[in-house]
Amino acid sequence: MYDLIIIGGGPAGVAAGVYASRKKLNALLLTKDFGGQAVASAKIENFIGHTVITGLELAKVLEGQLRAQQNIEIKDGISVTAVAKSDGGFVVTDSKGETYRTKTVLMTLGSAYKHLDVPGEKEYSGKGVFYCSTCDAPLMQGKVAVVIGGGNSGLEAARDLLPFASKIYVLEYAPTLKGDAVTQEMLRKEANVEIIANAETKEIFGVDFVQGLKYEDRTSGAEKLIHAEGIFVAIGMRPNSDVVKGLVDMTSFGNIVVDHKTMQTSVKGIWAAGDITDGSYNQINMAIGEAIKAVLNIHEHLFTGEV
Amino acid sequence: MVTIYSTNTCAYCIMAKDYFKEKGVEFVEKNVQMDHDAAKEMVEKTHQLGVPVIDINGTIILGFDREAIDKALVN
Repeated sequence: MYDLIIIGGGPAGVAAGVYASRKKLNALLLTKDFGGQAVASAKIENFIGHTVITGLELAKVLEGQLRAQQNIEIKDGISVTAVAKSDGGFVVTDSKGETYRTKTVLMTLGSAYKHLDVPGEKEYSGKGVFYCSTCDAPLMQGKVAVVIGGGNSGLEAARDLLPFASKIYVLEYAPTLKGDAVTQEMLRKEANVEIIANAETKEIFGVDFVQGLKYEDRTSGAEKLIHAEGIFVAIGMRPNSDVVKGLVDMTSFGNIVVDHKTMQTSVKGIWAAGDITDGSYNQINMAIGEAIKAVLNIHEHLFTGEV
Repeated sequence: MVTIYSTNTCAYCIMAKDYFKEKGVEFVEKNVQMDHDAAKEMVEKTHQLGVPVIDINGTIILGFDREAIDKALVN
């Protein structure tokens, strides 16, 4: 039986793995990939210790540090399909059907792109509806693109589109943009960027591929059309918490509720850290700190025999 | 035959290529950002506009999904 199973290989999972190894816990880390959603970032300028690093470089640095540890078992290329209580701990099942028994679990599965849930989104996903701007912005050469969401990820998507798209609309539901002031200022200086606030996206339409979208002007109530070949959805993230749904307490958005002093969930023996939790700020640096806090608390519990 | 359609800045494309290299799988890369014929081919063959798109002997995989890649390689 393992002391600890860490589920997820993003910044939080890797930080947990490093600390678990140094505490000589009998630990296993299960993950699909390394780096988490930060992988898709073209440029990360606020990761402390690196002035600038790409998401992919960060993923490699994290994986390298984890693999350099002596005492941690790693299984990658798989996903976790179930976590269930059992005698004296938990049973974790992976997508290959293998099961593992453990005294404690740390959930670090992070989050994934949130969907709009409007007609046409699913149908045209990959056919003009995109979620990864660094991947797909280069395909917008000379085309009209719409970014939905005026937070940091939306503004970054608009920035990624600047060298390619002929015209970029940024649609924000609220009256003002939430993204960093520095990026807002930069975008407002660009002649081909148009920011539309108070806009609620209603429908994405097309034939075979995207042709545009309909939105409601929330101040006048009028329905408006934008013709575009690319729609980049950047309205935030949703936690990857489905695997422990019904097991631990969650918010209505699916974020795992934790005690922020210890990162313990409502179930004794399960901890959570990073974007999957109900923490206020989704940051790589924060996820790392939270995961370390969790492992130190887990170690204390295992040491005092309280789990 | 394995073909991967990519763009210059797509991290998942690089991860997929690294994965093929690690497994010793030979592949052809078609950069749809630089090569318009490749872009046209990708759309016609896969009906997809987003990258990465991977074609493993006719099985089309969207995104970097190791489990789907492994399965397609076995077949």
